[in-house]
Amino acid sequence: MLDAFVRPDVPILVQGATGRSGRSQTAGMVAYGTNIVAGVSRRDDPEAKVPLFRTCKEAVSATGAKASVAFVPPLDVLPAVLDAIEAGLELIVTVAEGVPVHDALRAKAVTREAGMRWVGASTPGLAIPGKMKMGFLPSVSLAPGPLGVMSKSGTLSYEVCYRLVERGYGQTLWVGVGGDAVKGVRFADLVPLFAADPATKGIVIVGEIGGSEEEELAEALIASRCEKPVFALLAGRSALEGVTMGHAGALIQAHVGTIETKTAALRRAGATVSETIKDLIEAVAGTLESKS
Amino acid sequence: MMLLEHHAKEFLAAAGVAVPDGILITADELAGAAPAFVFPCMAKAQVPVGGRGKAGGILKVKTAADLPSVLDKILGLTIRNHPVRSCRLEALVDYQAEAYFSLAFDADSGSLRILAAAEGGVDIESPEMRAKLLQVAAVPDPEHAFAALNDLVLGLPETMRGPIREVGSRLIPLFFEREALLIEINPLFIKSDGGWIAGDAKLLTDDNALPRQPELRALIENNPDLYPEAALKLAQGFDFVRLDPEGDIGLVTTGAGLSMQLVDEIVQRGHRPFNFCDIRTGGFKGDPSRLVQVLKWVSSGPNVRSILMNFFAGNTNLAELVPLILVAMERVELRQPVTLRMTGNGFDAAMAILAEAGNPIHVETDLELAVDRALAVAAESADA
Repeated sequence: MLDAFVRPDVPILVQGATGRSGRSQTAGMVAYGTNIVAGVSRRDDPEAKVPLFRTCKEAVSATGAKASVAFVPPLDVLPAVLDAIEAGLELIVTVAEGVPVHDALRAKAVTREAGMRWVGASTPGLAIPGKMKMGFLPSVSLAPGPLGVMSKSGTLSYEVCYRLVERGYGQTLWVGVGGDAVKGVRFADLVPLFAADPATKGIVIVGEIGGSEEEELAEALIASRCEKPVFALLAGRSALEGVTMGHAGALIQAHVGTIETKTAALRRAGATVSETIKDLIEAVAGTLESKS
Repeated sequence: MMLLEHHAKEFLAAAGVAVPDGILITADELAGAAPAFVFPCMAKAQVPVGGRGKAGGILKVKTAADLPSVLDKILGLTIRNHPVRSCRLEALVDYQAEAYFSLAFDADSGSLRILAAAEGGVDIESPEMRAKLLQVAAVPDPEHAFAALNDLVLGLPETMRGPIREVGSRLIPLFFEREALLIEINPLFIKSDGGWIAGDAKLLTDDNALPRQPELRALIENNPDLYPEAALKLAQGFDFVRLDPEGDIGLVTTGAGLSMQLVDEIVQRGHRPFNFCDIRTGGFKGDPSRLVQVLKWVSSGPNVRSILMNFFAGNTNLAELVPLILVAMERVELRQPVTLRMTGNGFDAAMAILAEAGNPIHVETDLELAVDRALAVAAESADA
């Protein structure tokens, strides 16, 4: 079922393949078993491990790539998205931190119009554990298992999944949607996938203050009549109003995007909302153990 | 970043939006001569949050002689955890009615929302006020925004149409040129002759756009004391927020989400984190200076009794990180004990490096145990 979002063997090109991080992350993804078929860059790189092209379109006609992961600087994300659309790709993951919101808005509008799924603006990526990853979700936190994971924060989700894996609970699919205010794929978009996927026995959400994505997710859970157990951890209870706490999306304004509104909405939708990482791990373990 | 009202009004004025005359006074300038300003006037605390009036941050100044005592009161306040570092003196405005106008992004749908109401000055979040708000959504570009503004104006009482159309048509270009996320005028004062002037102004800008917004960058660089978090991020590329000057736990952590969660869990357990920090180990590139800086700030907290470091090395290498920590600790001459939680890539090599240095740091691999230990150290030292 999750194939509708991303297939394990989808042929992938890397935009920004010759940069410092593009080069090392490409090696990391290939080592993990990801089907990387091409790189796109304005520069040549005699040491490149994959064939290089100037544009996505050239890469697609030569290799049949269907998806892209872009390791380009934040101000180059919008041009990279436009290039990917031009090539007719079906999915793009962008990882750069610090994409301007006005660029993200434009990217959102054009990807929606083109029917291309966009995971970004800034995310550690996604992974089908044991099979592939697009981006750099750490391998120590990845293992095949029964959980559908979606996360705003990279680091907090690494910690949560690392400890869940230690307890024997890996993932069917993990999508980092990122901590930006304006983004492509949102929590709610993933609910129908996880709800319908027979291998996914539970859903883990790593959210945080700001915006209304968790509230929207709660509505989607109700609308999809998802019967699977849903576990959420929400960071930023003690954040300072009016100040950005690391993530652009995590800026609270009075009465909008607070922990209270998010917790209430998710609980109404039947989710278990934990205040600590430990409580979340215990809730997942307790529930899935009793079911198996 | 939410601009202070004074700076927001400077941007508005430059865009042709009328604002009352005003000057900015910081705590440092308080000792100097009284500014040449027309009295009576208003004195308004400059903090990036609402609720200033209720908190006693907006007062009338009747004469020049009253100014020092009023400023003294306002500059001593902390409003919703924000210490008042500056104050705007502003001319009084004669007006007949109040209105509301804002431009904001709806992050969820990716559209621009234009909101207006024939009332203003009150809490826009209140249900009564919400019911009176007119709003339209537009594709986020100037052309669509202007068309939407025209639609919106038609729903307003006749006396309000002219002013809202004028304000809107000046703010739309400003919104796109400065890459704003929110511009809000509440109240917009409507004068008896049909003229108008912005009573208050909120301008939320996008930190990510700073590389291509030189005026906004200059504002932050010229006022590092008024925008300490943004100035730090701009100059050094990482986040550090002082949360509680009386805090007992100093944090040296990486990752916004995990760092926020740690702050939450420490608060839940009855302790007070001094700071939030996302130090971004990826930006170290072999240089300990960022760690030195953060350790200096953290250890300078008068009540900080324990320092917790947390590094989950999913993509970094602990064997490269630990030597930097050792150098930084030596340079700062820490008085507080450190608990280091680390796990992930290069752990064994990192432990070997620590052993060679005589194990100067207490290491835990489990985050729960590390937090337990850091809090216990703080509690013991408070009892001693």
